Amino acid sequence: MASKVTIDASATSKPKPSTAAPIEPLKNDAARLYTHIHPVIVLSMYAYKFNAIVADPVPALLAILAPLAVLQVAYVAVCLPPTGETPKVRKIKPGEKKRNAPGVLESGVNGTIVPAFLSLLLAALAATPLLTATLVLFGAPVTTHHLHTLLSGAHIALLSTLPLVYVHGVRGETWRQIVALLMPIDEVYGGMIGTMLGAWLGAVPIPLDWDREWQKWPVTIVTGAYIGYAVGKLLGGTLLKGKKIMFA
Amino acid sequence: MEKGEVFTPMSDITATAPKKEVQGAPASAPAAKKMASVAAAAAAAADQDKAKKGGQVHFKASHGLVVAFFTFILILHAAGVYLFTSGFLLTRLVLDDKSECAVPPIDAARAYVSGDAARGCWHPKTFDKAIVIIVDALRYDFTIPFDAQFEPTDLAAAASAPRTPPVAPRHYHNAFPVLYETAQKQPNNAFLLPFIADPPTTTLQRLKGLTTGTLPTFIDAGSNFAGTAIDEDNLVAQLKNASKKMVHLGDDTWHALFPGSFEPNLTHAYDSFNVWDLHTVDNGVTEHLFPLLKAENTSKWDVIFGHYLGVDHAGHRYGPDHPAMTAKLNQMDHVFRRMIKELDNDTLLVVMGDHGMDTKGDHGGESEDEIEAALWMYSKKGIFGRSSLAYTTPPRNAKIRPVSQIDLVPTLSLLLGMPIPFNNLGKPIEEAFVGKKGTDFENLATVNRLAAAQIHRYQNEYAKARGLDESTRATSLALWSAANSAWNTLGRRSSNEQLNNVYQAFGAYQRDTLSICRALWARFDVPRMLSGVVILVSTLIVLAMYARGIQGDRSELTPVFVTRGVIGAAAGALVGFGATLPLPATFKEHVLILSTAMSGIVGVASTFVSLRDRVLSPFPVSIWGWTSVFFTLALSVGFAANSFTIWEDEILLHFLTTFGVIAVISSFRQRDKTDRTLGIYHSILFTVLLRVASFSRLCREEQMPYCTSTYYASTSSTTSAPWQLVIPAATALLVPTFIIGYFEGTKSYQNTAKLWLGLGLRFGLMLAAAYWALDAADDGEWYPEWSNVISITKRLVAQIVLFISLAFGYSIYNWSKPLLSVIMNESSDAAGAPKEAITVLGYANVHGSRYTLLITIWYLAISLLQKPMGAGAIGILVWQLFSLFEIIDTNRLHTSSIGPVVLGLLGSFHYFKTGHQAVLSSIQWDSAFIPLIKIRYPWTPIFVVLNHFGAQILCAVAVPALVLWKVKPQQKGLLGVLAKAIATHMLFYATINLATTMWAGHLRRHLMLYRIFSPRFMLGATSLLVVDLVLIFISLWGARMSILSVAEVFGFGG
Repeated sequence: MASKVTIDASATSKPKPSTAAPIEPLKNDAARLYTHIHPVIVLSMYAYKFNAIVADPVPALLAILAPLAVLQVAYVAVCLPPTGETPKVRKIKPGEKKRNAPGVLESGVNGTIVPAFLSLLLAALAATPLLTATLVLFGAPVTTHHLHTLLSGAHIALLSTLPLVYVHGVRGETWRQIVALLMPIDEVYGGMIGTMLGAWLGAVPIPLDWDREWQKWPVTIVTGAYIGYAVGKLLGGTLLKGKKIMFA
Repeated sequence: MEKGEVFTPMSDITATAPKKEVQGAPASAPAAKKMASVAAAAAAAADQDKAKKGGQVHFKASHGLVVAFFTFILILHAAGVYLFTSGFLLTRLVLDDKSECAVPPIDAARAYVSGDAARGCWHPKTFDKAIVIIVDALRYDFTIPFDAQFEPTDLAAAASAPRTPPVAPRHYHNAFPVLYETAQKQPNNAFLLPFIADPPTTTLQRLKGLTTGTLPTFIDAGSNFAGTAIDEDNLVAQLKNASKKMVHLGDDTWHALFPGSFEPNLTHAYDSFNVWDLHTVDNGVTEHLFPLLKAENTSKWDVIFGHYLGVDHAGHRYGPDHPAMTAKLNQMDHVFRRMIKELDNDTLLVVMGDHGMDTKGDHGGESEDEIEAALWMYSKKGIFGRSSLAYTTPPRNAKIRPVSQIDLVPTLSLLLGMPIPFNNLGKPIEEAFVGKKGTDFENLATVNRLAAAQIHRYQNEYAKARGLDESTRATSLALWSAANSAWNTLGRRSSNEQLNNVYQAFGAYQRDTLSICRALWARFDVPRMLSGVVILVSTLIVLAMYARGIQGDRSELTPVFVTRGVIGAAAGALVGFGATLPLPATFKEHVLILSTAMSGIVGVASTFVSLRDRVLSPFPVSIWGWTSVFFTLALSVGFAANSFTIWEDEILLHFLTTFGVIAVISSFRQRDKTDRTLGIYHSILFTVLLRVASFSRLCREEQMPYCTSTYYASTSSTTSAPWQLVIPAATALLVPTFIIGYFEGTKSYQNTAKLWLGLGLRFGLMLAAAYWALDAADDGEWYPEWSNVISITKRLVAQIVLFISLAFGYSIYNWSKPLLSVIMNESSDAAGAPKEAITVLGYANVHGSRYTLLITIWYLAISLLQKPMGAGAIGILVWQLFSLFEIIDTNRLHTSSIGPVVLGLLGSFHYFKTGHQAVLSSIQWDSAFIPLIKIRYPWTPIFVVLNHFGAQILCAVAVPALVLWKVKPQQKGLLGVLAKAIATHMLFYATINLATTMWAGHLRRHLMLYRIFSPRFMLGATSLLVVDLVLIFISLWGARMSILSVAEVFGFGG
C-alpha cells in the first residue's frame, strides 16, 4: 500500500514512457568476472541446502537467508553502478549508454557499501511484507505455515528487489515504471522478472499426486524463484538486453 | 468504502458531461443557448424521431439475427454433447423392487415349501455362516503354481524344441499356493476358479457387482442420486433383512456402500486410498478376524466380510513383479492356512479377488490381466463336486471354465438360504451345487431354474419401466419358454442327461439375457463419441473465428452466417434423412444428427471464405489476448491430469490472481493519473476479494487431508453453523451499498436505480437473510412449539424474495428509463446576460448503469438459493464484477478477450466457493425445497440449476456489461462488440467442455474415470449449455432492452 502513496505523490509530472537505458554492469575486471560467478554461487548454495530445506523448510531457509543477503550485497557492491536519491550519483539517467562507471575502489565504501546495505534494508522491510502478502493472495495458507511463507517472501525479495533498489534508488516515478514493466530489460530487471516467473511456475507441481517430499510448501516456490533468478539474470544481461515489454 | 470519486474521474461527472453534450443534445455550458428557437428544435426533433424509429427497426432485426446465430451455436453444442454422451454415459435404470423370502420367482420344485428363512427361502440352505474375504486385486495366475500354468505336452515339446520360451517364474508366482493345493487335494472341500470381473475394474464398482449381481454403468439412475449407498436389492441388504449379524473388516468403501449394515462394535474399517501403505489394513483385518473364529465368539456373527488391500497396494506401488508382492502373497498364504485350521465345520469360507491388475499393477480398465481374478470356496462339510473328473485340477489359466463375478450372488444367496437379489443376472456356480459325486443334476437344474426365473422377473419389470422393445428380447424369450417346456417334461425319475439338458437350457437363457444387458449397459459406443467430438471441434473453430477472427462490425455479417448455417443444416438434414433410409434403426438418429450439424457448420464456415478480406488471424496480438488463451488452454490441458482436476479451485485462484497482478501492472502503465489510480485500486480490490472468497471451501474426498471444509457447520453435516447466519445479513447490508457506490461514481444512482438498488434489492436480501435464520430455527427446532408456523413462513419469505427478484425486478428493468437526469444551471455570462447551462447527470455511464441492474436482479434470486456461506461468496462475486468493469474500462479493454475469459474463470471459481465440486454428490438438491415444500415442475429444476450454476450464470449475465460499462451513449456498432464478447465467453466454456469431453473419452479406461474425469466432463457439458442459454436469453435480451431504452434518448449514434 505504501508504494501506491509514493506513486501518487511523485507523479506530478506527466508520466512518459521510460527513456531509461538498460543498466550496464561496471566495467572493471572484478565486476565482469563476479557477475557471472554470482548466480553460480547462489544456486550452489541453494542446491547444497536443498535436502535440508525439503526436510525442514523453516530452519534451513532461515539459515541461508543471511548468506544470501551477504552474497547479494557483495554482488551489487562489486558489479553494479549504485544510484541514490541524490542525482549526482545517478548514472543511468538519459540514454548515455557508453559512460564508463567508476570502479569499486573509486566510489569507495560510501558509494557502494552503504547503498548496498540500504537496499538490503529496504528489500527486507518493504519488499518482504509486500511479497509475502502477494504469496498469500496467490493461495498461500493463512492460518498455518506463517514462517514458511514469510521466509519465501524474504528470499524472493532479496533475489529480486535488493539489486533493483541498489541501481534505481527509491524515486516514485522510477518505481512506477519498474512495476509497470516499462523499463528496458537488463540483468537486474531480468533477474527480478525471472524470480517472479520462477516462483509463479513453482506452484505448478504442488497439486500433483506424486507424493514427493519436495512438493510441500514452500519448497517448489523458492526453488522456482532461485532458478528463475539465475535464468532471468542471464537472459536479461545477454539475449534480451535492452528489449521492452509491450502489452499490446 | 471510499468516496465516489475513487470510482470515476470527477471530470466525467461534471466537466466532461456538458462538454460532450455538444455533440448530442442542443445545449451545453460554454455555448449556452437560449431556449427560444423552439420551432426549429421541434422540426429537428421530428426528423430525429424518424431516424430513431428506423434505427430501432434496424437494431431489432440485427439483434434478432444475432440471437438466431447464437441459438444455432447452442443447438450445435447440444447436438455434439448429446452424441458424445449417448455413446459414453450408458445408463441403467435401478429398479427399487426387492426379492422377498416368501415370494419365489416361480413355483417351487419338488414340493419345496418356500418362505422359511430358517430352512432356506427358495431352496434348502447349505450353510448358516460364511466368511467372505476379498483379497483386492488377486489375479488368477497369482494362485496357480507356475508349472501348472502350462500344458504338460507343451512343456515336453518345449524341452525338446530348441526355441524354449524365455519364461521363468516371476515374483508373483508360487507365492500363494494354498488355494490351489486345497482345491486339488480336497475337491469336496474346496474349488478354485477364474473369476471374471466386468469392467470398470475399480473396487467400488466391483463391490456393487459382487453384491447386487448386476453390471454397473456410469449412471445407475435411481432414486438416490447424491449418495454412494447402494439402493438396489443386494446380498448385504437381504442378509440384513433376515436379521443376520454381519461384521465388516478392512476397506472402508463397504461403509459408503452399505451404511449401517454392520455390527458396529465388531467392525473395523480402514481408509482405502493410502496406496503407499501396504500393511495397516491387512494387519488390522487379521488382528480382528481371528478372534471371531474362536468358539466363544461364533455366536456374535453370521457373516463376516473381510477386505484385504495389501496385494492391490503392492501392485500400485511396486507392480506385481517385485519382492514386496512375493512377501504380500506369502502373508496371504499364511493367513488362509491359519483360517482353514481354525474354521469350524458349518462355516463357508469364500476368498476372491475383486479384479486383477495389469503389468504395472494398476487396474480400472478391461484388459485381460485386469478382469481375471480368482475365486476359491472352502468348507469342511465336503459338499462341493465336479461334473467331470478332469475338472478336479483348477484351470491352468483364466480362459478355461471361468465364472463371472456376478455368479457369486445367486451362489451365496442359495447356499445361505437367502432370496436371490432382484436385479441379479448371474447364475449359480456349478461346483457348489453339483454334489459330492458330481452327479446331482437335479439340484443344478433346480437352482438354475430359480436363478433364471428371477432374471426373467427382473427383465419383465425392467422392460416395463424402460419401455423396452419386445424385439430385442425375442431370442431370450424363446430360450425361456424352451427351458420351461424342457422342465415341464421332466418326470419323477428323470435321467441325468434330461436333467442336464434342463440345466443347460436355463443356463442358455441366463447367458443370452446377460449378453443383451451387457450390450445395453456396458459398452462405449466409440463412433458416436467420435461424431460428438467432431461436431464440438468444428463448432469451436467456427465460434473462435466468429469471436476473434473478423474485422469490423459482427452484427453486419451475422445475417450471412445465419442464412448459410440454416441452409446448410437443412441440406444436411435432407441428405442425412435420405442416407438413413436403408440403415438400421439404431444408426438413423446418429447419422441424421451428424449430417445436419456438420452441413450447418460447413454453411457457416463458407461465409469466412466469401468474406476473406475481413478475416483476421484469430491468434492474439496483445499480452491480454495471450493471457486469455493461456488461461483457457492451460486449464484445458490440466484436465488430463487427475491432480489438476481435483485442485481446480486452487488453480482458478492462482490464475485469477495472476490476472489481478497483470491488471495492476497494466494499470501502472496508464498515463492518465485518474485511470491509473482507479485501475490499481480496483485490481487490488478484485484480487483481495478473491482471496477472501477462497476461505469458503467444500473439499472433495480426493483433496483430503490437505483441505478443510468451511462451507457447512462441520465436515460431516450439510447444515450451516449459527455464526454463518451472519453472512447473508451482512451481505444484505453491505453489497447494495457497494453497488450503489459504483453507480454514484458517475451520478447514475437515480430514478429506478434508487427504487431497485436502494429498496427492492436491499429488502429482498434482508428477507433472504431472514429465510436462512428461519431455516436454522426450523432445522434446529429452536422453538418446537412454533415449528409449523416457522416452516410455512420461511417458504413464504423465500417465495416473496423470488417474486421481488424475478417479477418486480424484471418489470422495473423492462420499463426503466436510462438513469439520467438533467440539471439546469442558471448563470450569467461575462456581459451579464442570463444563460442556461445543462448538466446531464449519469451521462458517463448511461449504458453500463442501465444494463447492470439486470445483474443485481439475478443476484437476488441466486443469493437466496445459496446456503449462508454461498450467499457471502455470491455477494463477493457481484462486488468483484463491478470492480472488473472498472478494470476493463480504465485499461481500455472493452473489446479484448480478457474480460469474457476472466468472467469464465470467475464463474468457475465461485462455483467452487458456493459449496460445489465437480462430483455428482455435491449437487445441493435441497435447494429445490427452499421456496417449495414439494417437487413442482418446471420450478424445481430451475431452482437447482440456479443454485448449482449460480456463479456461472451471474458471470454470463455480466458479459454485456464489459462492453457497455462507461461507453459513450451514442457509440456505434455496440451490438457487434457485444456479439464479440458473448462469443468469446461461449468460446471459453466450449473449450473447457471440449477438453473435458476429449479427456473423458480418451481416458475411458482410466482408474479414476468414474471418480474424476467423467464428473468433470458432465460439469463441463452442463455448464456450457446453461451458459449458452443464459447468454442468449438473459444477457442478449437484457442488452436489447437496455440499448433500446438508451436509444430512446440518444438515438442509435450518427
